[in-house]
Amino acid sequence: MERRNLFKASAGIAAATAAGFPSPGVSQNAAARTLRFVPQANLANFDPIWGTQYVVRNAAAAVWDMLYGVDENLVPQPQMVEGETVSADGLTWEFRLRPGLLFHDGTPVLAKDVVASIARWAPRDPMGQMIRAIQDELVAVDDRNFRWKLRRPYPKMKFALGKTGTPCCFIMPERIATTGNATMITEYVGSGPMTFKRDEWVPGARAVFERFGRYTPREGTSSWLAGPKRVLVDRLEWVVMPDPATAANALQAGEVDWWESPISDLVPLLRRNRNIAVDIADPLGNIGSFRMNHLHAPFNNQKVRQAVMMAINQEDYMRAVVGSDTALWSVLGGFFTPGTSSYSEAGGEVMKRANMDGARRLLAESGYANEPVTCLVGQDQPLLKPMGDVTADLLRRLGMNVDFVATDWGTVGQRRAMRNPPGQGGWSMFHTWHAGADAVNPAGYNALRANGNDAWFGWPTVPSVEAGITEWFDAPTPETERAAIDKINRAAVENVVYAPTGFFRSYQAWRRNVSGVVKGPLPFFWGVSKS
Amino acid sequence: MWAYVIRRVLATIPVMAFVALFVFSLLYLAPGDPAAVIAGDQATPDDVERIRASLGLDRPYLVRFGEWVFRILQGDLGTSIFTNLPVGHMIQQRIEPTLSLMLVTLILAVSIAIPMGVVAAWKQGTWIDRAVMGFAVLGFSVPVFVVGYLLAYVFALELDWLPVQGYTPFREGLFPWLENLILPSVALGGVYIALIARITRATMLEVLQQDYVRTARAKGAGQRSILFVHALKNAAVPIVTVIGIGIALLIGGAVVTESVFAIPGLGRLTVDAILRRDYPVIQGVVLLFSFVYVLVNLAIDLLYTLFDPRIRY
Repeated sequence: MERRNLFKASAGIAAATAAGFPSPGVSQNAAARTLRFVPQANLANFDPIWGTQYVVRNAAAAVWDMLYGVDENLVPQPQMVEGETVSADGLTWEFRLRPGLLFHDGTPVLAKDVVASIARWAPRDPMGQMIRAIQDELVAVDDRNFRWKLRRPYPKMKFALGKTGTPCCFIMPERIATTGNATMITEYVGSGPMTFKRDEWVPGARAVFERFGRYTPREGTSSWLAGPKRVLVDRLEWVVMPDPATAANALQAGEVDWWESPISDLVPLLRRNRNIAVDIADPLGNIGSFRMNHLHAPFNNQKVRQAVMMAINQEDYMRAVVGSDTALWSVLGGFFTPGTSSYSEAGGEVMKRANMDGARRLLAESGYANEPVTCLVGQDQPLLKPMGDVTADLLRRLGMNVDFVATDWGTVGQRRAMRNPPGQGGWSMFHTWHAGADAVNPAGYNALRANGNDAWFGWPTVPSVEAGITEWFDAPTPETERAAIDKINRAAVENVVYAPTGFFRSYQAWRRNVSGVVKGPLPFFWGVSKS
Repeated sequence: MWAYVIRRVLATIPVMAFVALFVFSLLYLAPGDPAAVIAGDQATPDDVERIRASLGLDRPYLVRFGEWVFRILQGDLGTSIFTNLPVGHMIQQRIEPTLSLMLVTLILAVSIAIPMGVVAAWKQGTWIDRAVMGFAVLGFSVPVFVVGYLLAYVFALELDWLPVQGYTPFREGLFPWLENLILPSVALGGVYIALIARITRATMLEVLQQDYVRTARAKGAGQRSILFVHALKNAAVPIVTVIGIGIALLIGGAVVTESVFAIPGLGRLTVDAILRRDYPVIQGVVLLFSFVYVLVNLAIDLLYTLFDPRIRY
């Protein structure tokens, strides 16, 4: 007996005994207009500038629109702007907004809203900070036009305003955008294709979005964050499921429609179900890594870092993290995202082939004095635990003294910010990964910065990397950009800014009655329909 | 009696004060940094510092503790670091699923376990007794999540009788509400049933040896009357005690069960808060659980007087 029949039978008894019990029936049309989505993580807060977690960005992209949006070729296209003009010297940018843009509260989107939103976003974003550093003025000229005057040209302006990396430059009403960026906003009004149902938000369990009927999509073809954002369902429900097995069961039973990040162990099970489609989620994938602390021994010694990099066998990491599905991973010869125009293997031959004997020789030459390597591993993160195990084995085989600290990600997050020596509460290395979308070029690639105290955790100081980054930002042509990328890659490998452990992708899965799911760095809910 | 109740209620104040101090201190000493979690993996150290300062986490222990206690005394559990929502509101959003789960589990467990224990004692040494005890061992041994996955596989995926996950509020109807709670309650109730059944059996065996039971038999009382009127009532005090103690077991089990069945209850709220170091939420939920546990114990103490008139307060 199937569930519906069982409950139909019991419904008769219920009707006879208690007319007040409503039936659980939901019309099929209503079900088809609601898309139930299992996100990668809980939407714990909803301020995409205050917090920069990817899950917040993913939800925010449906609610807040952007001035530009990158397409699947990573080219920024106008989104909220109708167009822009740049002065001949490249110092003055004039932007004009599209007509008819409305916020969810019915008020028009004005240039002053844009100016306030940029002012809140810029201090939080690496590219925004660069623009602020050369900003002369940012003003609303009238309701639809705003001007950004700079003291130096900034050719990557449109990419900065349209990139997928967090924080994205989302446009909010002025009254919300004037909230300090250290304070969380409490009103979630955007001008994107969906509204956020704050009254139905149960952090840790559910978030609900509804189609914004007064949204004016662009003409053309939708591609990632660019083009028309036509929402084809009335309602989008995010159902948070911390347990992957439960999510797999719910997808198989048809209780949810789309699962953003199934773990690789469960993918074969999902593939066997003819009602479920499985495909790569994000072609830009992720770069696994461990970061070494450049401030303290032993990794303040370049030769020790080089020895470790020489010993790394990325295949070991990838098999431990992703499994034997070789379609999902590849070995890296550089620091940028494979398959993109920025990918470079300049100087990266050493990364692709492990050489343990050579690494041991180099370690001996380095003068390594058996200092303990405090290796932090967030065991509650499914990707990090196996990476940590492989690293501990690698370092021991290399002849290093490993102090393996198995803890949770919250503790790693606290401890990695400490600059003390490892023996005084600090650390020597920790594991993480970087979204390929952030590593497509130096613009939002925090992990590659090597500007000492201002750099990401590990605080590498490598002037040649920084010089290459500056050259990339100033590059007027694709050829000069390419030269800068090669320079950065070579310097990053030689100085081991960090240690990449391989490139990997993950799957997404959805019911076959859902169509329009695309591969991308975030789930795009426009263009997705359900029959 | 009323004086006793008032005394016990007043005694909860120092208990709760100790719990508050203990929880706050434990969280203060525990490693981990909510600012780092909020800032995200790509944040710079400066971002983390800025967020820590904005949350007031850089202030001294005593200042933070004092402020928290002051707010608690005004009935304000604080605001979640992560959601910016009042902790009281978050608890209110999550309390119904957990209460529902515990209530259904409690009813299910008591209505199955006590007859099981009684029958096992009555049929001591027979295959029925051994089967009941075997079930009890199984109930203790198999983890809740294993039972949960098995139940979901059989009854939701294979038979399609019940949903895999989720929770439907009671206001949407009794059957939808119950539909979502059957599997989780069975999974969570396993240990509880085993515990109550074993205690019931052991206590009943002891009571059945008593003189008054022999006297009842001699007077020609029926088997049902002997078991359920004469023996069970006299065995009730230890059974009720175990049911009360088992509430803590249920609270602990609810954390796992709510994760396995994606029920948006207090258990999941607690785990999420702990993993993120959302201090106000952890403190609020632990205080609530402690308060409930103290009240349950008080209720159990008062119930003793119903089952054993010799007990007076």
